[in-house]
Amino acid sequence: MKKKHTSAVQSMNGVTKAVTYICLAWALFVSLMPVVWLVLSSLKKDPLARPGFQLPESICIDGYISTFTDLHVVRYFANSMIIAGISVAISILMISMSAYVVARMEFKGKGFINMILYSTMFIPATALTYPVYNLVNKLHIYNTRGALIFIYACSGIALSFFVIKNYYANIPHELEEAARIDGCGYAMTWWKVIFPIARPGIMTAAVLAFLNNWNEYYWASLVIVDREKLTVPALLSTFTTSFRTNYNGLFSAMVVIILPPIILYCVFSKFFVEALSGGAVKG
Amino acid sequence: MMTKQKSWKRKGFILAFLAPTLIAFAVFYLYPILTVLFTSFCKWDYTNITSPEFFGFKDMWNNYNYIFKMYPYFWEALRNSSIWALLGVFVQIPIATLIALALSRKVRGIKFVRNAYIMPNMISTAAMGMIFLQLYSPLYGIVNPIIKLFQPGFKENILLLKGPAFIAMTCAYIFFTGTTTLMILGNIMAIPEDVKEAAMLDGASGLRQDWYITLPMIKETLRMVSILSATSGFLLYNEVYFLTKGAAGTYSISYVIRELAITSSRTQFGRANAVAVIQILAGMIIIVLVNVLYNYLFRGSRKRGAAK
Repeated sequence: MKKKHTSAVQSMNGVTKAVTYICLAWALFVSLMPVVWLVLSSLKKDPLARPGFQLPESICIDGYISTFTDLHVVRYFANSMIIAGISVAISILMISMSAYVVARMEFKGKGFINMILYSTMFIPATALTYPVYNLVNKLHIYNTRGALIFIYACSGIALSFFVIKNYYANIPHELEEAARIDGCGYAMTWWKVIFPIARPGIMTAAVLAFLNNWNEYYWASLVIVDREKLTVPALLSTFTTSFRTNYNGLFSAMVVIILPPIILYCVFSKFFVEALSGGAVKG
Repeated sequence: MMTKQKSWKRKGFILAFLAPTLIAFAVFYLYPILTVLFTSFCKWDYTNITSPEFFGFKDMWNNYNYIFKMYPYFWEALRNSSIWALLGVFVQIPIATLIALALSRKVRGIKFVRNAYIMPNMISTAAMGMIFLQLYSPLYGIVNPIIKLFQPGFKENILLLKGPAFIAMTCAYIFFTGTTTLMILGNIMAIPEDVKEAAMLDGASGLRQDWYITLPMIKETLRMVSILSATSGFLLYNEVYFLTKGAAGTYSISYVIRELAITSSRTQFGRANAVAVIQILAGMIIIVLVNVLYNYLFRGSRKRGAAK
């Protein structure tokens, strides 16, 4: 393996090598610079006195403490967790049922269903702003966590549908036939045989959907008003007023807010990388 | 008798399993789209919230006329959103592809760079917008000190200057192509080894191989991510909200819709929905244009393939 690496590098000519390293350096710079600067600033007692990339005089963690004691950041994490979790559970269950039927059975109108679900990928959600806002009001769920659960469970159908459908398509047909011979009904066959086998594909879709919902800002800032019900991204828009000149507090709170997705990513990066690259890149 | 019962069971099962998704589609996509379409021809604003009124066939384009001729921000927003869509195809995708190609080579430390590069995409765009708002701060950011090297005495907030504000906003999102890069990388890695080896034997290696062999082979993925990034560029909202709130000529179409429908004190639902119709149409035009572009770009490779 090691030998192969060196030979691959040697086989690159000078220009290719230079371009490769420039690209990699750029990638590192772009991705790390904002976050490093943010963490650095959060440790400064007064970021105004030492702007830019200057190192802090002494490390100040007051902002971090107040993020938990005064801002009660844990509450917003709980909101995000509940809303993203429940909506993902609903949408993934519903989509893994429908995708099964479309992937494995023949019936009239299948092409049509495929097409309308595919089209949702290109319908701009912001264009639906007012009708959805109106609908949420009519259902009397405005300003509740239920409104966001409803919106997240219904949006983003296309991505989950195609990830799961593709996974189903690769399961051998013999398994279903065997289950049918054993006397399982259609629903039983799906639940006992196919669902467990398709779990990796379903998990991939669930992780992607969870991440999308966790980070979603547009609807979160639209249908929830009460501060204690806000999700983490929506909380961010209250920062410029609530922190005013307490920059240390502002930076610390931002670090705390971006930390969970980063930690989650570090732990499960293997999983994310494989999911996003369609399984071709090993994490 | 038996088979008839069986076929009913089968139909029932198919219907039951499809129903939840189809209901979700109807409630969240179909009904809102139809509402948007119909009410864009209605007088519907803060004065008649519950009862939209059709203008009548003679005046049915009233909302569109207002948007095109009177509303001060529409053309600015359309221009900006279109530029962002173009930048998606002509800046984001080339960057994403270059980095994916670099990541596909077996160099030491490649895994670390790859994981680091995806990280910003795990953070919400709202948080990234907030971070860039701080980076651009004239008081404690890092952009102003750099400008001061060339223009001592520069004290302005660049987000309030017409021109620089647009560039600054664009820079706050355009370089974070982690997920796109990963999708392209996945496709590059899926190219069969023997194709690469054959290219090597023909003397194509490094950048030449990428240009003549790899890119044509991943053109379908490139086409798809181009559509996605053009669309998301056209839909930009979060960055506008967090960085400028539309100041200094940075309105976007999404921002206009939300302002007309929700944030404004004199809400104009009919007019907001007229803009929404334009946004949906623009989305379709983007798909067509990207397809035309890719058919044109890769016409040669198809011919070469046919010649073989």
